[in-house]
Amino acid sequence: MIEHLLQSPPGWIHFLIFFCLGAILLAIVLGFVTYAILAERKVLGFMQIRIGPNRIGGRFGLLQTVADVFKLLIKEDIIPKLADRPLFILAPILAFAPSFLVLAVMPFSENVKFADIGVGLLYYIAVSGISAIGMLLGGWASNNKYSLLGGMRSAAQMISYEIPLVMSVIGVILFTGSLNLTDIVEGQKHVAYMFLSPIGFIVFFISSLAELSRTPFDLPEAESELVAGYHVEYSGFRWAFFMLAEYVYLFAMASLMTVLFLGGWNPIPFLGFIPGVIWFALKFSLIVFIMIWIRGTFPRIRADQLMEFAWKVLLPLALLNIFVSAAVKELFLK
Amino acid sequence: MLGLTKGLKYTLKNLTKQNVTTKYPDAPLELPDRFRGIQKFYPEKCIVCNQCAAICPTECIQLTGKKHPDPAKKGKIIDTYDINFEICILCDLCTEVCPTEAIVMTNNFELAEYSRDELFKDMRWLDENDANIRKENKV
Repeated sequence: MIEHLLQSPPGWIHFLIFFCLGAILLAIVLGFVTYAILAERKVLGFMQIRIGPNRIGGRFGLLQTVADVFKLLIKEDIIPKLADRPLFILAPILAFAPSFLVLAVMPFSENVKFADIGVGLLYYIAVSGISAIGMLLGGWASNNKYSLLGGMRSAAQMISYEIPLVMSVIGVILFTGSLNLTDIVEGQKHVAYMFLSPIGFIVFFISSLAELSRTPFDLPEAESELVAGYHVEYSGFRWAFFMLAEYVYLFAMASLMTVLFLGGWNPIPFLGFIPGVIWFALKFSLIVFIMIWIRGTFPRIRADQLMEFAWKVLLPLALLNIFVSAAVKELFLK
Repeated sequence: MLGLTKGLKYTLKNLTKQNVTTKYPDAPLELPDRFRGIQKFYPEKCIVCNQCAAICPTECIQLTGKKHPDPAKKGKIIDTYDINFEICILCDLCTEVCPTEAIVMTNNFELAEYSRDELFKDMRWLDENDANIRKENKV
């Protein structure tokens, strides 16, 4: 259906259809963000032997995040007097927009997908790189030395970890011979790439944690140490946009990991009667749970270990993974 | 590396453990029996010996007595008995010193009020404060 829409002549009716489709996806993603935050707080609570949110919206706190977001939206919109006003306003948009744009190429199942472009993986990586500019811009435009430092730190972290992230997927691209995400899932009909390139999977997972700036790599924000990193001067709905970008990236990154390494919508053998979307959702939730689990367990790494870990451990491992993947392909997949 | 998996295992196990937090504002908090909470006062036991007012380190107890209404009996009975919970430190000395156990400790502790005036508790209030009394002092 989408294929047909993409090739039809432009017009208002098509614009409307695309707009509606985008709005539906946005609604789903926002719903995910709402309940991912709640799930994160709940799981962290249970891991720390307490209950977590339990007041607003029944005993499971189902409306807690809604209330939090509502509070942020009705807060006063503060822009510092000496801030670079246009850039200050632009930064949260620039941080959020790419996080939603990358979802355009994400195939959620055989039928549920939007743009099925040939270089989907490249598109994802290229567009997600723009977010770092949004963060740096936010830090710069605030006219505050701490937020500038925070912006620099998070940009440095983002860029450093993007390299092992990209290098670790090369193994997957080698196996498939394609950058198209649908082809990559089709290539995992029999065995998920997680098992063919375990090193790649681990490197990808770790660097995606750093890309999302989640614990143990949450130095850009570091709730317990810094004021807030690059968004010190932000409050209200602009701050909410930065947070939203972070959680939409969580959605996008978990989806990408499901597609690249866990076999997307492909079922586990003998359970093929369950529809693909549910398989996707299950694998996706597993990854999100592991990320929350890691957040509940590990302490933050030191700033001097951060860069060293990316360049001296993850990058060589990712390079090794390319060789190993090539050997695996040559020996077993011919 | 081993430490990381150990930590992960520990947090995963915590998922199934009983929570250490209580449901306090929703459910009452059970306190140990020797807890020093708001006093309960028995006017009929009091002999107006003034020892509690004398020993109180913050001088938060004020009491007055009157002659026994039955002229045949000796001694006094209590007329007014006030404790100012703005300054009471719940030190338990008044209940220790009381020779007739007319004043005893309870396990109640909720003293949050909107006005300071409400912390000035009189004899009637202290008499009605009869929940969660210390077991050894129960009549």
